[in-house]
Amino acid sequence: MEGQNMWLDFPIYASVAIVCWLAASGLFLSSGKKLMNQMAAGLSFAGTAFLLVFITILWVNIQRPPMRTLGETRLWYAVFLSGIGLVSYLRWKYKWLVSYSLGLAMVFLIINLNHPETYDKTLMPALQSPWFIPHVIVYIFAYAMLGASSLIALRNLFFVPTERTIKGPIQMADNLVYLGFSFLTLGLLFGALWAKEAWGHYWTWDPKETWAFITWMFYLVYIHYRFRHPSEHKKAMAVLAVSFAILLICWFGVNYLPSAQNSVHVYSE
Amino acid sequence: MSNEKGRKFGQHPWSYREGSTISAAILLIGFSIQAASGGTVLLIAGFPWNLILGVVFLGLLVFSFYFWQKHPVIKGLGSVKAALPAILGFTFLILLMGFVKQDVESRNALVKLFGLSHLVKTWPFILINLYLMILLGIVTMKRLIPYNFKNAGFFLNHFGLFLILFSTALGSSDMQRLSMNCNENQIEHRAVDVSGKVVELPLSIKLLDFNIDEFRPKVTIVDNKTNEIVQNRGIDQLEMLDRDSFDIAQYHLKMEQFLASSEKAGDAYIKAIEPGSAPSAKVVVTNPTDHTRVSGWISSGSYVNSPEAFRLNEYYSLVMLPAEPRKFSSRINIQTKSGKSVMTTVEVNKPFHIDGWTIYQTSYNTEMGRWSELSILELVHDPWLPLVYIGIFLMMAGAVFLFVSGKPKNGGTEHVA
Repeated sequence: MEGQNMWLDFPIYASVAIVCWLAASGLFLSSGKKLMNQMAAGLSFAGTAFLLVFITILWVNIQRPPMRTLGETRLWYAVFLSGIGLVSYLRWKYKWLVSYSLGLAMVFLIINLNHPETYDKTLMPALQSPWFIPHVIVYIFAYAMLGASSLIALRNLFFVPTERTIKGPIQMADNLVYLGFSFLTLGLLFGALWAKEAWGHYWTWDPKETWAFITWMFYLVYIHYRFRHPSEHKKAMAVLAVSFAILLICWFGVNYLPSAQNSVHVYSE
Repeated sequence: MSNEKGRKFGQHPWSYREGSTISAAILLIGFSIQAASGGTVLLIAGFPWNLILGVVFLGLLVFSFYFWQKHPVIKGLGSVKAALPAILGFTFLILLMGFVKQDVESRNALVKLFGLSHLVKTWPFILINLYLMILLGIVTMKRLIPYNFKNAGFFLNHFGLFLILFSTALGSSDMQRLSMNCNENQIEHRAVDVSGKVVELPLSIKLLDFNIDEFRPKVTIVDNKTNEIVQNRGIDQLEMLDRDSFDIAQYHLKMEQFLASSEKAGDAYIKAIEPGSAPSAKVVVTNPTDHTRVSGWISSGSYVNSPEAFRLNEYYSLVMLPAEPRKFSSRINIQTKSGKSVMTTVEVNKPFHIDGWTIYQTSYNTEMGRWSELSILELVHDPWLPLVYIGIFLMMAGAVFLFVSGKPKNGGTEHVA
C-alpha cells in the first residue's frame, strides 16, 4: 500500500472508532451492571486504540509528525479526549463525563470526515525542531483536559445541581483545570523557547500567540475566582464555559480572523 | 459581606469596588494620555536608564512592603480582589490586540488616536503592566514571609511571571534585531533594523556557501480549461515524486527517470548543474478505465527555465510543482572585533551564539531558490535574555507544581500569612 493516501482510508478507521464509542456510551448510560460498565470501558479503549493505529500508520506514511494541519490536530484531540474520559471514569466513576467526552471526540472525527485532508509530506524548515512534538502534544493534551472541564461546566449550568450534588463534579472540574492549565502554561513556554531558537524572539504577538495568551488569562481568572470564592459555583462555571469558547477561537477561529493573516500558526486546511 | 456597605472606600478589607476602580482608572488614564499625546509610540529608555529604573522600582516595592505591609492599601493590592480586575483589564487590552491587526499603519481614526495598532507601545499597556508587576511583587513578598515550603508553587508562578514582565519591559529598548543580507564570498559588517536604519556591527560575516536541501517535487493533475487542481472527494490530488509508481486521481503513474537538476535538450531533459537547472521527470501515465498509455516529460521550471506540463488528454494535464525546501543553511566565517575568527554553519532552528550576538538563518532569494547566492541572516542582541529565561524556567517549575499538587485545599487560604 506504499504511497497510498492514508486519509482515503480514514473513513474506515473513523467509523470503527465511532461505532465502538457509540456502543460504549450506550452501555455506560443504559445499565448499572458492573460487567456492562467494564465492557463499555473496554469498547471505549478499543475505539481510541484503533485511532492510535491510524495515527501511527499516518505518521510512518507521511514521514513527519502528523501535527501540522487542523485535521491532524483534531485527530489527536479525539484520541486525548476519549482517553481522558476513560481515565477519569476509572478514577472518579463519572459515567456521564466519559459519555460526553466520547461524544465530543466523535464530533471531531465527523468534522474530519466532512473536511478531508490533503496529503502533504512536506514540513517547512522552521517547524523541523525538537520542540515541535512536545509543543503540540502538550497543547492538545491541555485542550482536551480543558474541553472535558467545560463539559462539566455546561452540565452544571443547564442541569442545576444542589449544593450536595455539585461537590464531586466541581472538584473534578478544578482538577481538570489545574492539570490542563499546567499543560497550557508549559505549551506556551515551550513555544516561547522554540520561537527564540527559530525566529530570534520568544514572543512576537503573532495572532495565535495573542489568542493563546488570552486563553491562558481566562483560565487564570477561573483559578483566582475559585480560589477566593469557593462556594460561588454558578459564576465559576460560567467563567469556565466562556474560557473554553475563547480557547476554541484560539484553536480554530484565528484562521479566519483578519488580524491573523500571514501567521506561522495558521494551519493549512 | 454585611459590613460592606458601611465600609469606606479604601478601608480594609478591600472588595472588587477598589480593585475594579483602580484597574478602570489605569486604563482610562492610559488611553487619555495616549490620545492626548497624539498617538506617539512609547519606548522605555535604554541602558543604563532602564537598569536604574528597574533598581529604583524594586527598591520602592520592597521598601513599601517592608514598612507598610499592614496598611490597607498594601493589603488590598495583595488580594485577589485587586488581582482579578487587573487580570481582566490586561486581558481587555490583549483582546483588542487579538482583533486589531498589529504593527501596521491603520487608517481608522479611532485606532490611530488610541494607538490600537501598536498596543504594546502605548500608555495603557505600560501602565497596566506596571500595576500587574506591583501586584505580583506584593503577593510574592506576602507569601515569602514567613517562609513555608507549601508556598513554593505559588512563589514560582507569581515571581516567575513578575520576572518575565519586568525583564521584557525593561529589556525591550536594549534588544537589537537586525537583518543582514549576505552575498556569497563577500564580507558584510552592516545590517539594518526594523525601521531600515543601517547599523555597523562589532563583527563581520563572510558567506562562504549557501545551501538548500529540497524535498522531491510534487505532481498534480490540472484541468486544461480552468488550470485548477483536480480534486478527488474534496481532496487536492498531490503526490510527491519520492516513489517509482503510484496512483494519482484516476490515473496510474510510473516514473521512469528523475533528474534533480536538469536542462531541456530537444524533446527530453538531460542532467545539468548550472544556475537555473530545475528538477524534471519522465513519466508513463496509464488510465485503467480505457487502458490508454502515454509517456512524456514534466519539469517544475525555475527562474531561468519555463515549467513543462504534460498533456494527458484533451481535459487534463500532469504538472510538477516547485520543490519545497527541506532545510537551508549558510556556511559562514565570522570575525569579531575582539579578535575571534570562527567558521560555522547556521541553519533554521540552529542559530549560532557569539559575543552576545545570536545569528539566525532567516531567508534567501526565494525566486532563485536553490541557486540563490544571497542569504538573509538575522542578528539578535538581547542582554536581558538570561533574566527572561530564569522567569520562564521558574514558571515551568511552577506549572509542574500545579500539575503535581492540584488545587489548594480550603480555597488555598491556609498558607496565606
